Amino acid sequence: MSHLLEVKNLGKTYRPRKAWPWSQKSVAIEPISFHIDAGETLAVMGETGSGKSTLAKIIAGVDNPSSGELWLNGQKLHNQHYQQRCHNIRMIFQDSENSLNTHLTLRKQLEEPLKFNTNLTAQERNEKIDIALRRVGMLTEHGEFYPHMLSSGQKQRVCIARAIILEPQIVVADEALVGLDPSVRAQIINLMLDLQQDMGISYILVTHSPQIVKHIADKILILYRGKMIVFDKTDIVLGDDQQPYVHQLLHDHLNKQIKFKSDKAKKIAD
Amino acid sequence: MQLLDIRNLTVEMKTPHGIVRVLDKVNLQLGKGEIHSLVGESGSGKSLLAKAIVGFTNPNWEVTADRLWWNGQDLLAMNTKQRRAVTGRDMAMIFQDPYSYLDPNSTVEQQIVEAIPEGDVRGTFMRRRVDRKTRVKRLLHRVGIRDHESVIDSYPFELSQGVAQKVSIAIAIAHRPRLLIADEPTTAMEPSTKLQIHRLLARLAASQEMSVLLISQDLTSILPETKQLTLLYCGQLMETGPAEEVINHPAHPYTDSMLRMSLQTQQELPHKARLPTLPGAIPTLRHMPIGCRLGPRCPYAQKQCVKAPLATQKQQRVFHCHFPLLELES
Repeated sequence: MSHLLEVKNLGKTYRPRKAWPWSQKSVAIEPISFHIDAGETLAVMGETGSGKSTLAKIIAGVDNPSSGELWLNGQKLHNQHYQQRCHNIRMIFQDSENSLNTHLTLRKQLEEPLKFNTNLTAQERNEKIDIALRRVGMLTEHGEFYPHMLSSGQKQRVCIARAIILEPQIVVADEALVGLDPSVRAQIINLMLDLQQDMGISYILVTHSPQIVKHIADKILILYRGKMIVFDKTDIVLGDDQQPYVHQLLHDHLNKQIKFKSDKAKKIAD
Repeated sequence: MQLLDIRNLTVEMKTPHGIVRVLDKVNLQLGKGEIHSLVGESGSGKSLLAKAIVGFTNPNWEVTADRLWWNGQDLLAMNTKQRRAVTGRDMAMIFQDPYSYLDPNSTVEQQIVEAIPEGDVRGTFMRRRVDRKTRVKRLLHRVGIRDHESVIDSYPFELSQGVAQKVSIAIAIAHRPRLLIADEPTTAMEPSTKLQIHRLLARLAASQEMSVLLISQDLTSILPETKQLTLLYCGQLMETGPAEEVINHPAHPYTDSMLRMSLQTQQELPHKARLPTLPGAIPTLRHMPIGCRLGPRCPYAQKQCVKAPLATQKQQRVFHCHFPLLELES
């Protein structure tokens, strides 16, 4: 059986700006292979400079790999074939404040991916936008709003709506949950889980929060200076105490929890 | 005596849509060498409170308070010059994104030298240069940068985020302030870097008798050494008291839901289960609800909540709620 996305020997090297033809290239990612299935969440972890954002960009098609191939449902993904990529893999960025165009209403922003990638009529496009807005918990009237009229949580919702409007199979989220308020973050996590259940989306989640990884990831991929050191199911990685680096990255922060026992509050809630 | 004593601090902003009360009767007490955490979501006025303390205000804000005392002196009664002298001598502040607060055009050494008070440096002309350099090295060691040689001549863009934040802390403590205000110093940092900065702040507070007012977005990312904890929501004080008690026995529904929303406290929650969260969004400045501002989002809200609740005091804890989760023995 073929997997949803199969990454084979994917590598990325950069050539330094001032370099001789024979001088060594700097390696961002050494050739790595992994796969994910439909409806799964893969968490990519690692410290700064470990190549996790580069990996996310290559999968989303923003950047080209130096070597290796991407296979989706047994079909090869071509580097410059953006329509194919957009229909299947979409991306959410870290800073929702800056990833929306301030000059366009939300309806126009959501219309753009449809205009570029589909042959729908104007009316069909509008219907799709309404469905996408309602799916992320907003009103269809919000379509006439400009980004500055929304709160940060709503902006993040619009970014998610823009990602799912083409009904992709994979959504790549690059640090999409960093810097949000606790209540907004919990809402966005719930929304992402709901969408996964309803539409069967797979997520590739680049993050450094061990708590979020433990809660929503099915598989974990850990990068260290461009090398893949772990790729396995979440419970196996969390159960494994062998690798010191994994321990430092995950366990130290998971075990550090604050005490919490509000019996009274639980009684009232029941 | 308290080092910083704030009673009923109110900040009103003049906007095109009328006057908005962005901070509503906030109380805060801070002792010598104490770590005080101020927690609130965005728009809760926590940075505004910090700005009001250091006198970093805008002409169209109106700051009033029953008491805004620093070390026994009334800050509001001073003129600008006196206030700046007090603030410059005794207080320092660090911010969220170190790269945007460090000067990109000068090296780390030049920036730290600027912050060292002229009175500290002794000796003749050449001696002073050497003295300054040793002071810079000593400051870098104090903030936990062992390898000062590689950092001292770097420009901010060459540093990692953690080191850059440490450099900005070094600049802040160069004149030995008695109060350090840290405005979300670790948001958007990796967990290990975050831990380092937290340990550094705790060590500085303990060794230099410096009080720290740590502003944070998340209740779970406060320092374990925190003595007092204050929660703000939309400019209103929700709950304040000794940190351990507040976290273990929250009295206010807001404290309770802040704790429930974080994944750190929900260890036994099944994989991929939905998280408990407050419904709705944080209100904007123009649409503040009357009474208790948490009202529309609060799971326990009832009719009475349209009136702002008065403070309830129980031992060292104060909370503003009509329906607290804590049983009151009367």
